[in-house]
Amino acid sequence: MDQSAFAIFSAIVTSIVLEAAPFLLLGSLLSALLAVYVGDGALARLARRGLGAQIGLGLVAGLMLPTCECGVVPVTRRLLRKGVPPGAAISFMLAAPVVNPVCLAATWVAFQGDWRMVAWRAALVMIPAAAVAWVLGSVKGSDLLRPTLDMARGMTDDAEHDSGCGCGCGHAHEDHVRPKPLQGLLDVLRLTGREFLDMALFLIIGALAAGLFKTYMPQEWLGLVSTNLWLAVPAMMLLAVLISICSEADAFVAASLSMFPRPALLAFLALGPMLDLKLLPAFLTVFKRRPALVVILVPALAVFALTISLGLAGVLQ
Amino acid sequence: MNALTPQQGKAPGAFSAGLQDRLDGLCLVCLGGFMVALGRSTLYWYFLNPKFSPLTLTAGAILCIAGLTLLIWPRPGRATTGRLLRQAALLAFLFLAAMAWHEAAFEPNAGAFDPAPQADAVPDPEPEAPVDLHPVKNGTSYVRLNLAELYIMLDKKRKDYPPHFALRAQVLRTPTLDERGLLLLRRTAVVCCLADSLELRFFAGGMDDALSGIKSGDWVEVFGHLEPLVPAAGAQKAGAPKADKSGVKELLKLAPKGEPPSLAFNNPGFRIQAESVERIKGPDFPYLFEFREKEPFAW
Repeated sequence: MDQSAFAIFSAIVTSIVLEAAPFLLLGSLLSALLAVYVGDGALARLARRGLGAQIGLGLVAGLMLPTCECGVVPVTRRLLRKGVPPGAAISFMLAAPVVNPVCLAATWVAFQGDWRMVAWRAALVMIPAAAVAWVLGSVKGSDLLRPTLDMARGMTDDAEHDSGCGCGCGHAHEDHVRPKPLQGLLDVLRLTGREFLDMALFLIIGALAAGLFKTYMPQEWLGLVSTNLWLAVPAMMLLAVLISICSEADAFVAASLSMFPRPALLAFLALGPMLDLKLLPAFLTVFKRRPALVVILVPALAVFALTISLGLAGVLQ
Repeated sequence: MNALTPQQGKAPGAFSAGLQDRLDGLCLVCLGGFMVALGRSTLYWYFLNPKFSPLTLTAGAILCIAGLTLLIWPRPGRATTGRLLRQAALLAFLFLAAMAWHEAAFEPNAGAFDPAPQADAVPDPEPEAPVDLHPVKNGTSYVRLNLAELYIMLDKKRKDYPPHFALRAQVLRTPTLDERGLLLLRRTAVVCCLADSLELRFFAGGMDDALSGIKSGDWVEVFGHLEPLVPAAGAQKAGAPKADKSGVKELLKLAPKGEPPSLAFNNPGFRIQAESVERIKGPDFPYLFEFREKEPFAW
């Protein structure tokens, strides 16, 4: 890598991490607040509802709890550990980065008020999210998650875990009692910091990969594949994964790629927030192997099939 | 709840027991401090859209507070491979980011990041002097806008773009374009961060005498209007591309490929016909961060 290429690479990696860091921190803070202040029973009550209701709730939860893909994984992990059924937690994780007011408004602005792009984008995310949630909906939350991150903290011998509590909130207890204000604040801050560091590792790995790709990507291939639907859709899906742009900015990049057919742009807009180089290592570390493969493969296959179908049907031409 | 008890801090071996939390805290304070420092730096634009600097500052401050909490009130914990790995990854990132900041501060070339003042460049206006958004030249009124704003309006097939406009851009020349009396005008547009940056370009022609003295990398303010990228038959020079799709394709192929970090896009429908060109000193922020679709434009 020559010096100027290395300078570009380091600038891209830095910009990706710094752009995502506030959102990852927000996700970590939400996760810590849930851990410290929300009782296990409150969210576990969702499990009494049917799978369809769980999935439906998860799909629209992003409208009330806006988050982008940078911060959604720690929140989901916490929700699962709090007893939220996978049907709701997984559908929230995949849909919330797009089905939230900020991202939908950005898409609307970028495509000059074209509601069809907004609606199709939301649909193309909600369908795979619902499918993944349906597949994993019957699995216990504890069977989805790896214990790796807890071991990374070196806290498995702590009193909190001896007590059998899976909350990871950082304070020992017999039962979940609301902590005193100062104690609670310090627990939240401590847990936020640890959670942030857990996920920052994967953010940095993803940013390094995206930086390498952005530095060395041959730009000519975009022009070569843009005219053929069968090449354009997978090419845009690959681009979405590799360049790992935040879901709140990707619509502007997609809008500028106007030489591509609209279904290919939708593939870019739908897949990126569900699967990119920041999320891949996080999925593989947070979830056990089989659930991780489902979370990775089902959205990719569904987005491919749906956008190709849209293209062949002549929708959005 | 056994955190924060004074006894814990005084227990023998308490410091080493809490060492891992303290190291975590130190990592967070370093990252938070870096974010606060960069958020207050004049080089923030090199990495992110300046409108996000309050967000970076706030996040940096919260990370510092979270880190200090771990530093001052640690909990006992073991050093595991995973834990050391994430600490090492964060410190490696900070090292990389510090180098990137250093590179940005000492960018040596006179390209987009450090536009060198040209001997014959138009002097900077007084800092307090308002910019005339409707300059008049040779009896024609122009609307000042930025290149990305014009590009976006055309991309959306809008018809209400100003018929005569003035925009600032960096020049890109190649021998093959010179043969056709053309050059490229380019600006880099950034929505969020450097990773989503796009280099937007227009072919430009006209004013052969004025354009002839301008080199690649120079900054210019062009006063002009739009014309079809490939003029209709009869209105173009001999040997020019055909006024159809193949002609457009042929012309677009002549544009040099984009270079990282930005994806480069040449406007495929229009070119700028220059009526007047002034060489200028490059703007303080070479990137474009704001895009409006009606007056007053961000310029």
